[in-house]
Amino acid sequence: MSKKLVYLQPAPVRIWHWLNALGIVTLIISGAQIRFPEYVPILGSYRAAINLHNTAGIVVALSFSIWFFYYKMLAHTLEKTYVPNTEDLTTGLFRQAVFYFLMYFFGTPNPHHPTPEHKFNPLQKSAYLLIMFLLMPLVSLTGIVLMNIGPMRELVLMIGGMKLLSTLHFLLACSLCAFLFTHVYLATLGKSPMAYIKPMWTGWEEEDEREDHGKHDDHEVGDKRQ
Amino acid sequence: MKTRIMILQQMLPLLLTLLLFPGGAAASGVADTFSDGVSKNAGCIKCHGDNKAVSARVYIDPLKLGHTTHARFGCITCHDAITTAHPAVKAVARTTTCGDCHADVTVEYSRSPHAAKVSCGGCHNPHQVSELVEVSGDDLNKQCNKCHSMIKINASHAKWLPQTDIHLESVACVTCHSGAENFIVNLYISRKQDGRVNLVPVGYEELKKLSGNNELKTLIDSNNDGYVSLNELRIFNRNEVYHDYCLKSMLTPVKPTHAFKTFESRWNCTFCHGSGNQTMQTSFLSIPQKDGTYARMAVEKGAVLDVLNAIPDFYLTGAGRNALLNKIGLVIIAGGLIMPVGHGFLRFLTRKNRSDKGDRS
Repeated sequence: MSKKLVYLQPAPVRIWHWLNALGIVTLIISGAQIRFPEYVPILGSYRAAINLHNTAGIVVALSFSIWFFYYKMLAHTLEKTYVPNTEDLTTGLFRQAVFYFLMYFFGTPNPHHPTPEHKFNPLQKSAYLLIMFLLMPLVSLTGIVLMNIGPMRELVLMIGGMKLLSTLHFLLACSLCAFLFTHVYLATLGKSPMAYIKPMWTGWEEEDEREDHGKHDDHEVGDKRQ
Repeated sequence: MKTRIMILQQMLPLLLTLLLFPGGAAASGVADTFSDGVSKNAGCIKCHGDNKAVSARVYIDPLKLGHTTHARFGCITCHDAITTAHPAVKAVARTTTCGDCHADVTVEYSRSPHAAKVSCGGCHNPHQVSELVEVSGDDLNKQCNKCHSMIKINASHAKWLPQTDIHLESVACVTCHSGAENFIVNLYISRKQDGRVNLVPVGYEELKKLSGNNELKTLIDSNNDGYVSLNELRIFNRNEVYHDYCLKSMLTPVKPTHAFKTFESRWNCTFCHGSGNQTMQTSFLSIPQKDGTYARMAVEKGAVLDVLNAIPDFYLTGAGRNALLNKIGLVIIAGGLIMPVGHGFLRFLTRKNRSDKGDRS
């Protein structure tokens, strides 16, 4: 079976992804020290952990803006990429779940073949929709308010107080941390453990040449067909 | 013999008062009970308690004086050089000093950098002193603000202290700038100001209007048992009648010292934030009294750590974390490991199925 290379991850998406990854790992580590200073004194002083957490939070919020701006304003593919369509919801989710939780173990190929316009399988779409449109905005917004309690006191009280706000921020952050484990693991489920990770660095993903797909996206394959 | 001298010492101010101001004492018609400072000092208060009779400088608020321990000793215990020439001779010399009674505090204070700048009277008005438990955190800070302007305090703290405004609002100055070792969280019924940026503790008069014929404390202590439960705090926070009010919290020392300086340990944020949640277990509700003091009422243990409704607008990161939330967070994170661990295990067991088809995962 011949191979072809598909340009799957454009530069703005890759920049956003790795900036986001670095930021989130930093947030998890510094956040752990902020909540458990007696047990996790990783970053030296508490003040250093706070300052790093705030800085990383701003970086993640800005990188989120890059992501949103790119998909919405430049690529115009935000909805197409992240919102599951009817087919995804009726059959796609089930088919992909069967693959991950059953057929994968028998060596059956992944039923989803990514293209630049359909790079996520239905399960990915659903998960990312939740993460990018709910979890990330909420954890960022609660973080921004927590960084500015004084100036945003009215909003804090409207939400229900500092404690509810920090509770929300903490639980959302834990959810993000949980997602991170699953995300990193699923990224190793390609033909080789690095098959899905490499494209996020280079932009190009190696795909098997198949007759049943590619007919609608030959133009996206580019010159690197091999 | 010693007892007789003590009795004589205690009686002396009264005798002198009667001698100096027979009319005043007679007019009051109240014998000295030794526990009621106002009647004990009636002769002096007759003039000095009347703001029309004396200037503001020498006016003594009888209510506030009566509340002090000093009043029990009598005016003449301190103003001991008074003569029968008063009030014709205005000046009343004193030979007593604060150190005569408060020797330990005076010695401690004399070693602090403040001693060269300001005397006891700079912070403490002996005619209206109160016990620490009777003073709000804001009142404590007001003493500091007499010399240290909030603008300068904000500027100097903002150089190193994250969220300076929140710290200065929620921590009494002496929490960090005295050698205090133990701390509590005091709650004050506060009003959300215009813009709700600052929370202002509400005074007696306003709360009296709110409580009507009931005691002020019943605004929160609804069963009037002198103890504030978590449930009572939740009811107060959810009560629409009190929509414009909320609980302001301040971290105050149990016993501040007079060694005022910036202690090295306080530069390290973990002095508070890493102190463990045991520090956050003790809190009190401070209710304003008619005489300007506060009365403290014990609050159920753990109110500060309650996740949602007890004290919603106070959170000390680190030390204020809730144990149940930690467990929920752990379960969520562990949930994220189900896929890597469970799927990964089956993946390992079935790796041969994929390697036969050229899959290296």
